[in-house]
Amino acid sequence: MTDSHNGGFSPGPAGPGDGAPPLLMLSGIGKRFGGVRALGDASLTLTAGSVHVLLGENGAGKSTLINIIAGTFGPDAGSYCLDGQAVRGLTPHRARQAGISAVFQEFSLAPNLTVEENLFLGRERHRLGVLDRRAMRARAQAVLDDLGFDISPRQRTGDLSRAHQQMVEIAKALMDPVKVLILDEPTASLTEAETERLFALVDRLRAEGVGIIYVSHRLREIIRLADRITVLRDGCTITSIDAAGVTEDGLVELMTGRRMDALYPQIPHDPGAALLELSGLTLANRTVEDVSLIARAGEITGIAGLVGCGKSEVIRAVYGLETLNGGEIRLKGQPYRPSGPARALAAGVCYFPSDRVAEGLALGRPIRENASMAALDRQKGVVRRGQERSFIKATMDRLRLRPANIERAVGTLSGGNRQKVMLARGLTRPTQVFLFDEPTVGIDVGAKAEVYDFLRDLVRDGAAVVLVSSDLPEVLHLSNRLYVMHRGHIAAELTGADITEAQVLACFFQEDAA
Amino acid sequence: MSDPISLRGMIPHLALPLALAVMLTGFSAVEPRSLSAGNLLNVLEQSSYLIVFTLAQTVVLLTRGFDLSVGMAASAVSVAAALAAVSAGPAAGLAVALLLAGAVGLLNGTVVALLRVNPFVATLGMLNICLGLASTLSGGRPVTGVPEGLTTLFYSGTVLGIPAPVLIAALCSLGLALLLHRTVFGRSLYLTGGNPRAAEVAGVRVRATLIGAYTLCALLAGLGAVMLTARTGSGEPSLGGSLTLESIAAAVIGGVSLRGGSGGVTGAVLGAVFVTALSNGMNLTRVDGNVQMIVLGVVVVAAVALDRFRDSR
Repeated sequence: MTDSHNGGFSPGPAGPGDGAPPLLMLSGIGKRFGGVRALGDASLTLTAGSVHVLLGENGAGKSTLINIIAGTFGPDAGSYCLDGQAVRGLTPHRARQAGISAVFQEFSLAPNLTVEENLFLGRERHRLGVLDRRAMRARAQAVLDDLGFDISPRQRTGDLSRAHQQMVEIAKALMDPVKVLILDEPTASLTEAETERLFALVDRLRAEGVGIIYVSHRLREIIRLADRITVLRDGCTITSIDAAGVTEDGLVELMTGRRMDALYPQIPHDPGAALLELSGLTLANRTVEDVSLIARAGEITGIAGLVGCGKSEVIRAVYGLETLNGGEIRLKGQPYRPSGPARALAAGVCYFPSDRVAEGLALGRPIRENASMAALDRQKGVVRRGQERSFIKATMDRLRLRPANIERAVGTLSGGNRQKVMLARGLTRPTQVFLFDEPTVGIDVGAKAEVYDFLRDLVRDGAAVVLVSSDLPEVLHLSNRLYVMHRGHIAAELTGADITEAQVLACFFQEDAA
Repeated sequence: MSDPISLRGMIPHLALPLALAVMLTGFSAVEPRSLSAGNLLNVLEQSSYLIVFTLAQTVVLLTRGFDLSVGMAASAVSVAAALAAVSAGPAAGLAVALLLAGAVGLLNGTVVALLRVNPFVATLGMLNICLGLASTLSGGRPVTGVPEGLTTLFYSGTVLGIPAPVLIAALCSLGLALLLHRTVFGRSLYLTGGNPRAAEVAGVRVRATLIGAYTLCALLAGLGAVMLTARTGSGEPSLGGSLTLESIAAAVIGGVSLRGGSGGVTGAVLGAVFVTALSNGMNLTRVDGNVQMIVLGVVVVAAVALDRFRDSR
């Protein structure tokens, strides 16, 4: 292992072209899981020193393909060549030795270990069996500094924010020389500034000759980074194109076969009574301080802000998931003291958590049970199964769940379908206030459009919708009024024509300067 | 598990009866009597007791917990109920059994749900409490002279030729199946075990569900204790010895996951029959009692390993 940090990530310079074989060449890859075909005929050719974006809706087979590349499991059919050599019997360990490193969406960090312990997990440095802590700390610090990540190696990983954990994960992937780096939605939890730093890093690795496979749903960053784009649909490679000159509209069409303008629906805002009023809301952990806002019936109230600005905590507090320290909440004009989800649901408030795996769904249980979960208290002790089945079936049809089998375990579904199962919650009981926390995080464009349609329908039916999102275009397009939060405070309230990206960004920077 | 109709989905349900058949055939090769109609009926009747305890264990396993105190609680209930029945009649015995079991369960559930103590520690503590209670009440000796009313009702009586224990186990199985699949409480058990945090966020009353689960578990164990007391005709401080382990083993063999949220009555019953048939077979083939304990230990660990394997697929 090389200890130099200036360009020390790649084993050696390797330029694209020059008649050299491509770094990585997969063709005709097929993979089945039981009776389900995940990949039919997937192909991908990665050249050294390029960023190759893998594009496709959820369930298109992107994650299966990158898992095959990383050696998590082997393909059933097709050929896999690395540096012109056929590869067989790849394991994650051997892939790492061959210079293939992956950063997956699911973190591989041990939360109770420190950052440096995680970085060296499984490859600890030692002298005669005794851990060489000093050397590891120095190397960890060097790697983090080199990446420009502001994290101390001694911090406990579990105490870090998700964004910082993501950085540790990336640093871990770059501990050893890397030829092929796989990044699976690496910016999902990063702030704008952190995202920029990641892009700079990607640029640098590319210049050093690393081949980067990049999976993302964010069109802008695809355009920013991609050299080539391979489109997967239903487990097959549809096309592989040069990224030069590609537009966001073009990407959406490539991925789904539908046009971009259809993504954000016209929302028929018609503001009515204030259903939710917060004044001076302050949380015990001080993530939110002195926040006052109003959400009216018949409109979408957006809350924008950087990761960690407290925007999620505001709506979580209303739902009773955070401890209040002060302030007042009024619900439909009446004072309301949050005391937990059951009470909030009964009062007509429903919260849709951003982390669907941790807080949203029981993955091992069927769709039917997950969809009706929030309305259990309305069944007076006895569950009428026939009624439940037909009701949930109708609800899921309305949400366009595909495939429509409601007895499948939720764990077998893609992100978009999981979100639909959660959305069903809002339709299973009378609800007037809808609190959405990052409702489209990790779901594909097709499902996104359906989530937006769902919001539109809610507004049309006179509900108060609060939309908390880190996806700026999303809150800009959908909100009738937009609050911008910064460091736990409301920095601005924008309405009408003032809702622009420039205005929102100005709030962030103005506050920073102050 | 995703598709209940497919053949693949059926395999887990067929595997256990198949394993049972293979095991019985194996025993019959050594001891032909194993497969006699008389012995098979005997196994079925003997299973009644373990079925009740396995159902008890299943209720808490579904919530991602377990109850190590099941066996010792049975000992304590057996002794206390016998003492009460001897001095004040069968009704008093039953009342004491109900109260004690209910108290044990309520305490377990409260400690787990409200004080958020790990079920392992909470029920291990309760195990010791029950052990002390059983020994103190009985003075270490069986409480003899249990009135006939109790033995008839829970052991020797028959309805339409069906022995009381079999009938009780059948009623419990049916009742629990209905509870699990037709009631909000049953559904809450699965959801709580499936993802406690998500269940809470969705408004499921997780803490009440947990308290209910441990209470129901202890009540079923209390019923099992009364049945065993009726069988021996005495309150036994050593009644519960291996029941905890056997009940967990039977449930896990029957497909109830230790990680909660999956499993059901059918599996639990089959698992209990399997474990009973195993010990019956070993008795008939004269396997030494100590060796039997070793076998049970191996079976438990193997069942849990199998549970892991099932989940990782």
